[in-house]
Amino acid sequence: MPPRNPERIRAQKPRIGVFVCHCGHNIAGVVDVKRVAEQLSKYPGVVYATDYEYMCSDPGQELLKKAIREHRLNGVVVAACSPSMHEATFRRAAGEVDLNPYLVECANIREHCSWVHDPGEAATQKAITITRTMVEKVKGNMPLEPVEVSHKEKCLVVGGGIAGIQAALDVAEAGYEVILVEKSPTIGGHMAQLSETFPTLDCSQCILTPKMVEVERHPKIRLLVNSEVEEISGFIGNYRVRIRKKPSYVDPDLCNLCGECEKVCPVRVPNEFDRGLSERGAIYIPFPQAVPSTYTLDEETCLGIKPLICGKCAEVCEPGAIDFDMSEEIIEEEVGAVILATGYDLYETKALPEYSPDDPDVIDPLQFERLLSATGPTRGEIRRPSDGKVPKTVVFIKCAGSRDPELHKPYCSAICCMYTAKHALLYKHAVPDGRAIVFYIDIRAPGKGYEEFIHRVMEEDRVLYIRGKVAKVFREGDKLIVWGVDTLSGQRVEVEADLVVLAMAVVPPKGVEDLARTLRLSCLDENGFLKEAHPKLRPLETLAGGIFIAGAAQGPKDIPQAVTQGSGAAAKAIALLSAPTLTHSPEVAEVDEELCSGCRVCAPLCPYGAITVEETAQVNELLCEGCGTCVAACPSGALSLRNLEDSQVESMVEAALAELSPAREAVEVKGG
Amino acid sequence: MSAKPKIAVYWTGSCGGCDVSFLEVGEAIVEILSRVEVVFWPALVDVKRSDLEAMPPGSIDYALINGVIRTEENREMAEILREKSKYIVAYGACAHLGGVPSLADLWGKEEIFRAVFGEGFRPGPPPGVDGEARLPDLSEKAVPLEEVVRVDYAVPGCPPPAPLISRFFTALFSGEMPDPPYVFANVKALCEECPRERHDDRRIERIVRPHEIVPDPNKCLLEQGLICMGPVTRGGCNALCPVAGMPCTGCLGPTPEAGDPGAAMLSALASLVRFEDEGEEYFAREDEVLERLADPLGTFYMYAFGKFRRRS
Repeated sequence: MPPRNPERIRAQKPRIGVFVCHCGHNIAGVVDVKRVAEQLSKYPGVVYATDYEYMCSDPGQELLKKAIREHRLNGVVVAACSPSMHEATFRRAAGEVDLNPYLVECANIREHCSWVHDPGEAATQKAITITRTMVEKVKGNMPLEPVEVSHKEKCLVVGGGIAGIQAALDVAEAGYEVILVEKSPTIGGHMAQLSETFPTLDCSQCILTPKMVEVERHPKIRLLVNSEVEEISGFIGNYRVRIRKKPSYVDPDLCNLCGECEKVCPVRVPNEFDRGLSERGAIYIPFPQAVPSTYTLDEETCLGIKPLICGKCAEVCEPGAIDFDMSEEIIEEEVGAVILATGYDLYETKALPEYSPDDPDVIDPLQFERLLSATGPTRGEIRRPSDGKVPKTVVFIKCAGSRDPELHKPYCSAICCMYTAKHALLYKHAVPDGRAIVFYIDIRAPGKGYEEFIHRVMEEDRVLYIRGKVAKVFREGDKLIVWGVDTLSGQRVEVEADLVVLAMAVVPPKGVEDLARTLRLSCLDENGFLKEAHPKLRPLETLAGGIFIAGAAQGPKDIPQAVTQGSGAAAKAIALLSAPTLTHSPEVAEVDEELCSGCRVCAPLCPYGAITVEETAQVNELLCEGCGTCVAACPSGALSLRNLEDSQVESMVEAALAELSPAREAVEVKGG
Repeated sequence: MSAKPKIAVYWTGSCGGCDVSFLEVGEAIVEILSRVEVVFWPALVDVKRSDLEAMPPGSIDYALINGVIRTEENREMAEILREKSKYIVAYGACAHLGGVPSLADLWGKEEIFRAVFGEGFRPGPPPGVDGEARLPDLSEKAVPLEEVVRVDYAVPGCPPPAPLISRFFTALFSGEMPDPPYVFANVKALCEECPRERHDDRRIERIVRPHEIVPDPNKCLLEQGLICMGPVTRGGCNALCPVAGMPCTGCLGPTPEAGDPGAAMLSALASLVRFEDEGEEYFAREDEVLERLADPLGTFYMYAFGKFRRRS
């Protein structure tokens, strides 16, 4: 096949340097590194080859730079670890002595060779093959310049729970504008529903509301409640977002919180904030410290919206804050970074029919939080929902839906051990003569002060912990009968309880899938949580540049972790927003417009949405991550990957196969 | 322009369609014939091999050869025409890429004889001819013209469509023939000129054959499950078949960068056949869809097997 772009064939004769790293014993303990260097020194195009103990060390980099200067190298192969480790290191070093960084490649003889093979000839042979292959690639590499782009200095935060609040405040404090989008009428998230927090037992609202107020007052934060992100398009530093803001039908500036409207509202529906343990009107305020501080009208249940048959609230509203004609708003913004802090939901109790989820006295942990809360439906007195009696025996069932790969969720929900201990403790403090019984599989308390807290609950507050699962919960008259097993004594256990609290699994919130689809992120893990770019080294990033994640959106988290992640994601966003310009690797796909027929095979395959097709396909260099999917699919050979052209791959394949059986003719590989 | 260009037209292993195809250009054929001097064209003028052999080397300007090289005689004629002509034009898919007849090479010569004539058949002299004469032998392989002589130009197609025939003669009469080797068809794939709508989120969830559906008149045929070779095939015919509701079968040959049309189409199909999600269940469904692809070799290499067959 003729070269695609003849003018791009390198004019210079290759003068390639090969540097074989020992990586201590990591490589040298398995591969004969001296022989790799010696063999490569004879390979066509290689003018210098050596080995060194740690190429990534300062002296190693100096060795590289010195060789580039002295031997006038125009290409470098470092046979060492994975390029994801030190490619940047060696490319930077080469750049310092004016060798274009994109003429430097890493041959991975550690992860791909020494770590997975036993010492010996075969491993050395393989290391030689891998290194030769990369020499062939470098021969075809072109000098490239990073792609530069300007960016917007604004950040979108999706989700107004504690993680989103923290992220929004941190970014705003750094001086950047923030748009905080929350789908419910108030920020605060689940943390606002909690009574007290483990292990310190400070009041959740008391520590949360100052931050909520700060959000409302902050001049750099634009808060959009009742709003959902409908579409995000664009690329790192330059995202266009479309936000749909539902009308609240109440002007927050006029509402004086007198509450007259809710008093006259004829509608009574379960109050979501109290998880159905109380009722609210169609016009209501979620809780007294809600931010923004205003009543809001729920159009789903209001009688007056369409057709106008009620309107009682508007009649009694003295400041005239209620406006039935308020309409939905579409808000479009351009932002540089996005932080997704979409939080969590609880797995529905209905999924566990053996625990009688329809019984009013079988409740989920957030309902129990509301019973404990001073602002809750019982003003903090623990009274069971069915008859308002103070329960004398409360059974807590942990891992309800968690750690059950056969039937429910395979993962540990992480926070249940701690909040259940807290629940039991707060119950015992409120009802000192009551019995609290916890059924558990294991106790997981790895945070600071957590283990001590568990011990306090067991020993000081005398909560009974039974190691075993509960088989069944059913009602018998006034009591709930709990059948379980104590696996430590091997005894069956039957408890007559007044109230049962199911520590339901933490699950991704509804709608997160749509959000992921909007973002074209293949970013949901197998359980539906947002997936980080790397579980250890890039926990706050997604694979899409400039989109970060924080809090329980990524998986179950307690408050300190959510706050930490909020701040962490904010730091990531600030680093991006404060950069003078953004750069992107130029090793991306490109379209030869002379060849592209616009058949559109490529566009739907791109995981990054980087390809648009008009007359011909166009690759957005900033969105493209260079995965090559489109190149493989392109039927007419119009797409190619920079510095990984078909011709390079062919030479690499030839080099790889030549080693295995030198006598065999190189396999013809063409097209496709 | 000085003297009229001398042209020759000859058929080797061919169905005859290429000879007739010149009429596709309509009235323009009168103009074309008036501007050339036909020195050799067995289908049109009474002229024998001996007449051709008598011509001085290089005396013909353009020899347009259609058909695959299937017999010894085909090869000899190609070689004679090469000697007598300034330029050789592979006219039609058979001469250009091997065409449909080269699919015969899926079997050996002996198997072909057995399949066509049954056991015990030996080619003998034609009736009424003395015992010395014999039919020309089939060669081992049916190969495109370029495997036996140097080819300068190609007018591809099965048969070449009118726009490409015109393109060739227009260049010839203008005196601005491109430098050989050159193919008188587009470098871009057929989709460029196909008016059918292609969607951004295109995928194939079933594969059907043309007789199984009445295709939607506006939507891309691939999206409807018909295996249209358009994305890998040169344009230039104005998407004749897809416009008429038939999938492209690839007669103009693969675009220069597509390389092997089967490999290219397979990559494209492997990418297009998919469901809304991934995972074992969906992969199994994708396999089911691909199983429905009847005769992949005949579909992907209908015209190009001669050129792209791999030596084992």
